[in-house]
Amino acid sequence: MGKKQNRKNTIARNDGFLWILPAFIFLVAVVYYSIFYTFNLSTVEWNGLDPVRINVGLGNYERVFRDWIFYRTLRNTAVFFAVTFVVQNILGFLFAAILHTDVKIPTVYKCLVFIPTILPPATMAPVFRLLFSPQGMLQSIFSSLNLGITVDWLAKPASAMIILMAVTVWQYTGMSFILYFAAMSQIDKEMMEAARLDGIGNIGMLIRIVWPTCLGTTVSLAMLGVIGALKTFDIPYLITGGGPNRATEFLGTYIYRQGIRQSNLGYAAALSVILLVLAVGGALLMSRVNKKS
Amino acid sequence: MFDARKLSTKIGLQIILTLMIIPYMVPLVQMVLGSLGGIGIMNYKAVWDTGVVPTYFKNSILIAAGVIVLVYIFCMTAAFGFAKLHIIGKEVYFWIILVALTLPEIILLTPLFVTFQRLQMFNTLYAVILPLAALQLPFTILLARNFDEGIPTELMEAAKIDGASIWRVFRAIILPLTKPIASSIAVLTLINSWNSYLIPLIFLQTPDKQTVTLLPQFFQGEFTNDQTKILAAAVMTALPIIIVYICLQKNFEKGMSAGALK
Repeated sequence: MGKKQNRKNTIARNDGFLWILPAFIFLVAVVYYSIFYTFNLSTVEWNGLDPVRINVGLGNYERVFRDWIFYRTLRNTAVFFAVTFVVQNILGFLFAAILHTDVKIPTVYKCLVFIPTILPPATMAPVFRLLFSPQGMLQSIFSSLNLGITVDWLAKPASAMIILMAVTVWQYTGMSFILYFAAMSQIDKEMMEAARLDGIGNIGMLIRIVWPTCLGTTVSLAMLGVIGALKTFDIPYLITGGGPNRATEFLGTYIYRQGIRQSNLGYAAALSVILLVLAVGGALLMSRVNKKS
Repeated sequence: MFDARKLSTKIGLQIILTLMIIPYMVPLVQMVLGSLGGIGIMNYKAVWDTGVVPTYFKNSILIAAGVIVLVYIFCMTAAFGFAKLHIIGKEVYFWIILVALTLPEIILLTPLFVTFQRLQMFNTLYAVILPLAALQLPFTILLARNFDEGIPTELMEAAKIDGASIWRVFRAIILPLTKPIASSIAVLTLINSWNSYLIPLIFLQTPDKQTVTLLPQFFQGEFTNDQTKILAAAVMTALPIIIVYICLQKNFEKGMSAGALK
């Protein structure tokens, strides 16, 4: 071990490989083993029971690219990401800004925004199924106001998607809020005083000073959002089951349907590989954007 | 930070904030109201009398504890190595670990299903603990490495000159100093493990092994279409989490936001 190799930052003459080895072996055994296995599986046709796996080469991938449902899941993911990202961050930003003024009982509001973030989607799913059904609370409110609205939104393609997005925004606004709140605490008070003396009002302050300072936070949230949207599973699976008519099918739910439900393991594996490529690609792209900003 | 000097502005902001918060309360109100439909409070008794709720909680607690222990051991040793020790090709190893950060859990299902069956680990808590810990590791290592890099190396050099072994440096300097990030990692891991649904759904098949996120499903089978009892079970699942959160509010907020900042 030559002295040249010792970086300034590290303790001299210690090979740290043994220290990273346990974590490394563990990850390789669980994660990389699974990725490798999935790659292999994506080149065969197999139902999980037959002793024989039929080799189909890239056939599964060709099928994916001819599958309209695959394109539908991509479109759904993109729309889902765009809408939830914008709405959730505007709301989180506003909550953070208002809670930085001296409103009464701030802790109560903070808790109420944040609680959805820590509740399991699987626990809340039955609640949402009831809430957006004709037996739910919304329906009784509409009925008592005689608005003539029927709450059958989960049964219609467009509104089913809107509900999934609303549930997601409900769940993750707390996350945006906490991050924006922390970012806003770091804004230089003197700078804001100076701006105020220049005659900038509260709204102008928000748009011209606070929002630009929070840009780094917004980029971090975008990164979380892209990966989160690609991984989306629990909420659509438990609330709409991907329907009606694939309107809320995501890659995750489609892989589940193909692999677990219909035992098309090869086809599900090919979809999984594509999902992985998209997730890694998305993350790399976002970290590029992150470095630039 | 923002001035709301006029009384009218103050009242206006309070009203806007209250209007904004209402939609966030609606699902919680629906959950409680729904659980009190039909035979009212007796729904809770019916759910409790099935006797499964404590078992599901026990399993979730055991799994979360197992995941936290595994993540803590692997994460702290690896982060120390990456931050402070000399490793040839360090960044390559780090990159290999980081790629796993984006891994969607659904990819693990088939490979691990087949493997766990072969190893007779299917339907055991280990079958859930191992993949959940692996999914948490890349990110927690990233967090802990960044934190460790902020600890002055001189501190460790001094200890080494005094004859301390590297293991002792780790135990006497690194572990105590990394407590803040360790508590964030513990909270983050706890929430993600507690809330996980897909992995328990696939790998745990019998009610004596299943976790709280699978309770709604169990009660759908038990009380066919009796929504009120399913919601009573939801309240019973959500309440302890909310109570723990309110008690440890600061830790939760720090842990979750550590989860997003690099």
